[in-house]
Amino acid sequence: MRARLRARFSLGLLLLIGVAVRPGAGPAAGQTCDRACLNGFVDQYLAAMVAHDPSRLPVAKNVKFTEDGVPLKLGDALWATATGVGTYKLYFAEPATGGVGVFALVQENGTPAILELRLKVANRRITEIETLVARKETTAFLNTDNLTEPRPIFLETVPPADRPPRSEMVSIVNKYFDGIEQGNGDIVPFDKDCIRIENGIQTCPSSASSPLGALGCGAQLSTKIFTYIQSVSPRRFPIVDEEHGLVLAMVRFNHPATQQTVEVPGHGTMKMGRYSQWPNSTDIAELFKIKDRKIKEISAVIVTATYKAPTGWE
Amino acid sequence: MKKKLVTVAAVCLLLFGVVVGKSNRAAAFANEPTPAASNACERDCLNAFVDQYLDAVVAHNPSRLPVTKSVKFTEDGQRLELGDGFWRTATARGTYKFYMDDAEARQVVFFGTMREAGTPVSLVLRLKIENRKIAEIETIVVRQGMNPSRPQDTGAESFEKMGGPDPLFLEAIPPAERVSRDELARTANKYFSGMQMNDGKGDYSFFADDCSRVENGQQATGGRNTMASSSGPDNSYAVLAGCRAQFQSGLLHFVTRIRDRRFVVLDTERGVAFAFIFFDHAAGDTRTFQTPDGKTVTAGPTNPWTWEIAEAFKVEKGKIRRIQAIFHRCPYGMNSGWSSWADAMSDRARW
Repeated sequence: MRARLRARFSLGLLLLIGVAVRPGAGPAAGQTCDRACLNGFVDQYLAAMVAHDPSRLPVAKNVKFTEDGVPLKLGDALWATATGVGTYKLYFAEPATGGVGVFALVQENGTPAILELRLKVANRRITEIETLVARKETTAFLNTDNLTEPRPIFLETVPPADRPPRSEMVSIVNKYFDGIEQGNGDIVPFDKDCIRIENGIQTCPSSASSPLGALGCGAQLSTKIFTYIQSVSPRRFPIVDEEHGLVLAMVRFNHPATQQTVEVPGHGTMKMGRYSQWPNSTDIAELFKIKDRKIKEISAVIVTATYKAPTGWE
Repeated sequence: MKKKLVTVAAVCLLLFGVVVGKSNRAAAFANEPTPAASNACERDCLNAFVDQYLDAVVAHNPSRLPVTKSVKFTEDGQRLELGDGFWRTATARGTYKFYMDDAEARQVVFFGTMREAGTPVSLVLRLKIENRKIAEIETIVVRQGMNPSRPQDTGAESFEKMGGPDPLFLEAIPPAERVSRDELARTANKYFSGMQMNDGKGDYSFFADDCSRVENGQQATGGRNTMASSSGPDNSYAVLAGCRAQFQSGLLHFVTRIRDRRFVVLDTERGVAFAFIFFDHAAGDTRTFQTPDGKTVTAGPTNPWTWEIAEAFKVEKGKIRRIQAIFHRCPYGMNSGWSSWADAMSDRARW
């Protein structure tokens, strides 16, 4: 009996040692994972991806991986084609939920693309991997020329006393999507100098040479030029980084193509954007900087999707 | 007694109403398939369902359609409510019409052209009929917007210039030469197996000597492939003349996986097989390979790329004589909406 117990104990000990020394078991010891630990998982992911070697990653047995809304085996898609990661890396994390993500410039067979990566980490293992990859062939517009470093505002920390609770942060961002659906910028708490950058291109205010370019983010919405976006659904808010005042929204814009023009006071009949031309959706990862309870800056990664395609995470 | 008479009269009136109602309805929809007592639905009946469907789409009115309670509808692989997607934007039927029928499976495929907000688009439609009602609706709409790198590849205008399907597709096979459904599907499937990770060393005798292929309305064989190739003329299969020569070149290696192979029409009378499939191009190490003549070639898409494809085959005497395909780019690895994840990722053919 004793011998059997001893044997069992030894086996258990061996198993425990095995777990402890298992390669790639996470960037730090222990079960909690703070911001540095979570960001370490992101770095580990990017390195493994460029090495085309998913076996390096500490993943849960039932890890789920999607690229552009499609569930795939880890190692497929960008894992096979990534040849490098640029200096542009915009991290965000929510240690309380184990959520972490990055917007990064990647090279794919020598061609730049923007990667959105979201990980969920539990017990030092990656359980969820959600990626969008904006490539020139899979989005209506893309410019990676200026993506060298994250814009400093996203790195600023919010003084602890000024941090709104998670629910309020989400509520502020959610109003942005309501404003798009309703064509009403007045219901969105924009900072007066709000800037939005989509796939590396500043789209509000945008170039003064474009008809509505000089308008701010709210005024643009109120022209109803975006009401071809009939619905923003589903909407998920998987990461709220209270320390930096950041909210990551994962949303799908649905464009049924039932409206292609709009009357804009002072501008007459205006043609809506390219996505108004045929039924389609866009999968969007949108990072919001909230400052003084207003939307100060928006950075988005946008990929064209089949109309009302599932995001893979409903 | 009086009560009995009243009841009989009421029943007669009801019956009369049903008969009159039916004939009025038949007059209102001349193309509607004629109802019959049995579940059988042969070629004309199946094609009539297609016409009825397309007319209802253009009218933006799904309530006209006889559908089962649990009817399932997908557009480009996504399940939608009937009436959404192309139902809202279609403006007219086009002139290119190619029907493929499978009375045994009670399925019909329409490969044709339409107008969406006035713009020509290609449409592939599959209907499954159960008890004279539409139970399944699968569509692929090839639009300019979904082919961002090659926006003109909707194929619609080219198909319309062709006037109609190659007459060979419509010719009946002499009864003595007809093969089983299994054999028909197996022969057509050799095309996919020969292309996946093509190395030029397989047995490609399943191609007839006069085999030709049309893709998105363009001739893809005969050395006249106008589809753009990223490989350059020296390394492009597309400049080679015949179906067999293209496979023997080994230059299609970059098609890494042909999956979710669903043969949904097997018309043994005409020797026509039709399949929905996905061509994956993993675009990693598989881009560089050796051809049978010893040349090292790097070719194919540079990022993960999937074509969502509808493909028809004419098979005679165990050989493929004609191939016609329509396709557009879709998210890499996507599901058809009609398969489990495991089946969608598998290269096993199903029928």
